[in-house]
Amino acid sequence: MRNTLRKVILPSIMLILAYGFWVSPDFKEISAGVAIFLFGMLALEEGFRAFTGGVLEKILKKSTNKMWKSLTFGFTAATVMQSSSLVSVITISFLSVGMIGLVEGLGIVFGANVGTTTGAWLIAGFGLKVKISAYAMPMLVFGVMLIFQKSKSMKGVGYILVGLGFLFFGIHHMKEGFEAFQNSLDLTAYAMEGMAGILVFTLIGIIATIIMQSSHATLVLIITALSVQQITYDNALALAIGANVGTTITAVLGALSSNVVGKRLALADVLFKVCAGILFILFMQPMMGLVDGISSVIGLADDDYTMKLAVFHTIFNVIGVIIMVPLINPLIGLVTRLFKSEPDIHAQPMYLNEASLEFGDTALEALRKETARIYEKAIGVIAKGLSLDKQDILSDAKLKQVIKAHDKAVEYDIDEVYEHEIKSLCSAILDYTNRLSVDEATSRQVSRIRLANQSILITLKDVKHLQKNMLLYIDSENPHISAEYNRLRQRIAKVIRRLENIRSQEVTATSTSILSLDALKLTLEKNMSLLHGRLDELIREGHISADMAISLMNDSNYTYSIINSLIQINHNHLKSEEGSETEAEHLIALNREEINSVLSDEREAAERR
Amino acid sequence: MKFDNALKKKLLKKLKSYMNAEAEQLQQEDEGLSKVLKKLKKKEKHLKALIAAERDEDVREMLEQELNVVHSQRKKGITLLSSLRKKVSK
Repeated sequence: MRNTLRKVILPSIMLILAYGFWVSPDFKEISAGVAIFLFGMLALEEGFRAFTGGVLEKILKKSTNKMWKSLTFGFTAATVMQSSSLVSVITISFLSVGMIGLVEGLGIVFGANVGTTTGAWLIAGFGLKVKISAYAMPMLVFGVMLIFQKSKSMKGVGYILVGLGFLFFGIHHMKEGFEAFQNSLDLTAYAMEGMAGILVFTLIGIIATIIMQSSHATLVLIITALSVQQITYDNALALAIGANVGTTITAVLGALSSNVVGKRLALADVLFKVCAGILFILFMQPMMGLVDGISSVIGLADDDYTMKLAVFHTIFNVIGVIIMVPLINPLIGLVTRLFKSEPDIHAQPMYLNEASLEFGDTALEALRKETARIYEKAIGVIAKGLSLDKQDILSDAKLKQVIKAHDKAVEYDIDEVYEHEIKSLCSAILDYTNRLSVDEATSRQVSRIRLANQSILITLKDVKHLQKNMLLYIDSENPHISAEYNRLRQRIAKVIRRLENIRSQEVTATSTSILSLDALKLTLEKNMSLLHGRLDELIREGHISADMAISLMNDSNYTYSIINSLIQINHNHLKSEEGSETEAEHLIALNREEINSVLSDEREAAERR
Repeated sequence: MKFDNALKKKLLKKLKSYMNAEAEQLQQEDEGLSKVLKKLKKKEKHLKALIAAERDEDVREMLEQELNVVHSQRKKGITLLSSLRKKVSK
């Protein structure tokens, strides 16, 4: 039924559009503008994709890892581009390719909102407006030239330029198409007093901005109308509020071609601007008093309404951001609930299929490969959860340096990845194992794989718990607590690196992968007792508060559990294949008591020395 | 009813392996343990050589730890192997 509907809907829409193009050239121009704009978004995302995991991502992460940094970033970008909606659109592309998170994205959008006020000052003061569409053609030319280059980063820059070019070009065509309606926009026709006037003019502001695709253009219109007294000062303020709401249309259009995260950002942007608008409409009188007060302080004449409009625009955006920043988490919660993400396409099992179910060995191999894939993903999630980078952990760089280079807490939603990727993959594995009919020996191996997957889930849950205080303390002003938390991060990173070495070990005369894990178990136990000793000292010396001590105690337990689970995953997965040597390795592998006995022997030997 | 020779041989082999399944398994375990123990012995030697050549205190400590672990594993393996052989001889 759904497929049939799909088959009918698309041709119908195309037919309606074709008829519209035939009837109205303006409609054709607007639609082409939207199409070019959307294509620009795709090109832009493709361009930014080339830089994921590279320099741009690092710069972006560094310049948005704190709320004030995101705000500054957005403010600067909007001031330079003279368009907050373009900054929102670019932010959506950053988000879509996972270069930044939703919190950082919202910070940029909020900052851009404040940045757009510089435009209001320029327009009100000098009647200036930077015309970005003039850059579209050179951008397209240089962009296409760069796309043909071999280098990945050159191609990336090319796609970004082409994307921006098409965005500007699309907006230009939309504006051209709407010009027919723009000329019929006579503001005097709607002049009204009181709350009704405010509401009507807010609506006009929204519509005018949607038509002109630019809050700047609306501002020019407002200021011109205000200067020739076509509209009252109150109505002008309402128009400015409406322009601010209407400008979200660009972000909404941009989100159409984006994934669910981009849509969330666009919705959050709309909600933010609508809420700020409602608030200002409700408190219009006190706000006008505030504008008068500030205007007299900065020496503006009482009747200099155009400059007062710029003051209002600034207050409106700054107060809006001040109110919304503390509410960012509930806002994210709301948009996440409204836009629930479907399981990611990458979350589909790659190796498990119906055909291999029939053959024990093939099915086992598929299970092993799928588990290895989930493990790889999980390591990436763990790294991000610890505000680290997987590639850096697995590099040759000294881990102390790696930790030092990532000394700032970076928010990362583990639950999101857990729910939408890892959990569904693990469920697919469990489901697959339940459908296998195997003999006793194979069932032992299947059970090991199942255990490995369960350990992956446990590890991620533990990292989530650990993350809470870790984000608080890794860049704490108390050097003792930050050192301890960074030590916990380093320990986990070290184990991940050593496990990677063991996993990549080639079969040699001395390779005993499962048994190599025992050395890690020993280090784990040893570090745990060292930490207990150090913790006592930190409390005794008063270096950390009781709260910190409790957090550290709990989190060291989580760290212990994470490392232990990582070892278990590898223990169960590494050699899940049956064989006399593998079985022998499983038999010889030391248990916790045996590890502790090696540890106490070591201690005794050290004391004797 | 007549069996041809090939089929007879096949059936006899199956019967024999069925009767000796436990012995065969013990034999396999013995082989596995012996192989791993040999590997561990080599690993022990290799680690000793590495420790002797290592100048970095931290790395040496880590290698020594690993050596202790390998030593314990070997001890455990030898115990397991001897008990297995006792079981076989009974």
